[in-house]
Amino acid sequence: MTTLTTTPIPTGHTPPRPGGLLRVVLRLHRTALVLWGLALLAATAGLMWLGALADEAERGNSACSTPPTDGLMSCAAVHAITADETYSTGIAFVTACLAWLMFPVAAWAGGALIGRELENGTARLAWTQSVTPTRWLTAKLAVPAALLTAGTTAVVLLGVWARGEDNPNLVGDWYYPDVFVGTGPTAVAYVLAGLALGALAGMLFGRALPAAGAALAGSLFLHNLLEAHRGDLWSTVTRDKSGWEIPRSAFQVSATQTRVTLHPQSHFWPIQYVESGILLAVAGMAVAGAFWALRRRTI
Amino acid sequence: MTAVTVRATATAPHSRGPRGLVWVMLRVHRSALLFWLMLVGLTAGALLWVYGPGADAAWAEYRDMGCGSGRPNLGCDFTGPAMGRYDDVLGVSGAVMYWVPLLTAAWAGGALIGRDMENGTARLAWVQSVSPARWLAAKLAVPAALLTAGMLTLTLLHRLAWTSDGKLHLTIGWRVWHDDTIFLANGSAATAYALLGLAVGALTGLLLPRALPALAVASLALVTLQNRIGELRPHLWPPDLVTATDDYPETAGLIVEGGALTRNGAHVPIPDCMGMPGCLTERDITGFYAYYHPAAHFWRLQLMETGIALALTAAAVLAASRLLKHRTGAAI
Repeated sequence: MTTLTTTPIPTGHTPPRPGGLLRVVLRLHRTALVLWGLALLAATAGLMWLGALADEAERGNSACSTPPTDGLMSCAAVHAITADETYSTGIAFVTACLAWLMFPVAAWAGGALIGRELENGTARLAWTQSVTPTRWLTAKLAVPAALLTAGTTAVVLLGVWARGEDNPNLVGDWYYPDVFVGTGPTAVAYVLAGLALGALAGMLFGRALPAAGAALAGSLFLHNLLEAHRGDLWSTVTRDKSGWEIPRSAFQVSATQTRVTLHPQSHFWPIQYVESGILLAVAGMAVAGAFWALRRRTI
Repeated sequence: MTAVTVRATATAPHSRGPRGLVWVMLRVHRSALLFWLMLVGLTAGALLWVYGPGADAAWAEYRDMGCGSGRPNLGCDFTGPAMGRYDDVLGVSGAVMYWVPLLTAAWAGGALIGRDMENGTARLAWVQSVSPARWLAAKLAVPAALLTAGMLTLTLLHRLAWTSDGKLHLTIGWRVWHDDTIFLANGSAATAYALLGLAVGALTGLLLPRALPALAVASLALVTLQNRIGELRPHLWPPDLVTATDDYPETAGLIVEGGALTRNGAHVPIPDCMGMPGCLTERDITGFYAYYHPAAHFWRLQLMETGIALALTAAAVLAASRLLKHRTGAAI
């Protein structure tokens, strides 16, 4: 990406073009860019390997009998397979990283992307050059947003592929907090909300460390709030418990002695859409707030 | 604390002694000081609530549900709202104490040392009357004192809340003494980790003299260290051995390693019998064993872990002062 944008620069020199601004953002935050690239590479390689391991893991988790009968493998052979544990740990790790990605992104956006530049005065220097403040903030938000969206989407899709048969014994149930966030569009929405909250905190505080702290605190609050109220994001199903065993795939919201309130697995997508919608609305408001704070700073 | 030191400097405005240095520390990092006081105050309040009204309400609800009478009652498998609140507040308080070391590392790497090095305010201080060694000593001693005081207070309150309602935990059965957060919050290790966070942050701040990279690296380093030591925890003291003939002794305590016993006493992995009759005898299994730590090992494990964390803290502080001496020449 960097090489693509560097090539057009020598051809034309004076007029400020979006390409130049893009190049400046990428160049200024090259450490973050390199780290993001390395993280994506590691995630891709890891998930490819885990995906290749999925069948073996499935065998290590299958039913067995001693002596082997009815086409079942012997228990000793099944126990000798350790791929299932490696696979479970690996998938859980990548999923947790996806679910928690919002926090480092928010801290980085508040601290390094916006806060440090305002604190050092390099933002003011840029504004007195040919870049208007609005275009400066737009580039600061658009470039990371595009890279984060593309990368996170790719990892989520690859992760869904690596989960294979979605055996809950191996990869966790769909309603586990990390699994829910890490297997759908909410993963991307969380990251974008983190970026927007970081930008807002950076514009409001104008200093790197307080902005990083505030962005992290805001993201933690938002993340925990949505996790606690995930069950309320779509209408639940209430059932009588007598004579009916609650299937494992049911996301139980509450239970009494006789009745249980739950989400069947078919509610995965509605809840994903509602949660993503809330997060994108929060992100939109935070971006609007950041532009408003920018206007107050530059008038 | 601020008020006391401010008065002291007011009487002797030209004093450049350690008091002035302490005052400078508290003044520069006043928002961190306020944040810390607020965090300790809120967590202490929450723990006192758990100890008093929270536990009372949970017990009252438990009795109203007709549980604890000795008769089996399926309804007691579900917890009411008061019990849930009690457990939530206790859990959040423990979690705050668990994450304090990470926050400390991030702050120490970023705001305490890294920013001063990046801005050049550290150099400015050194060319004034403060020598680099005294600068670092003040940077470490003042937060260390405040962290120790706050964390020890919280630990005592957590112990108070935890030990006074032991039966309540047994009834709910969600939290046990060797859970990560409970174990740390009930003993000296939480304080030791907070000090380790400070030392790791300071060392990182000196190594990477820029605020944000130091913040990130210090946080990562502390998380890694804390997890590694946590993995070692079961091996820090020789475990006891328990054997049972009927079933695997799962509830013995913190289990280090366990399995099945054959007739001649060999230790083998537990076969996957899934309750099939005769399956165990067929495999010559006469019982089960487990190496475990009973609750009585709590302080031994706690003190070993505290010792390791403090030794690492000392090593990091030593490395930081060596590094500073090396950087600034031998003029100290």
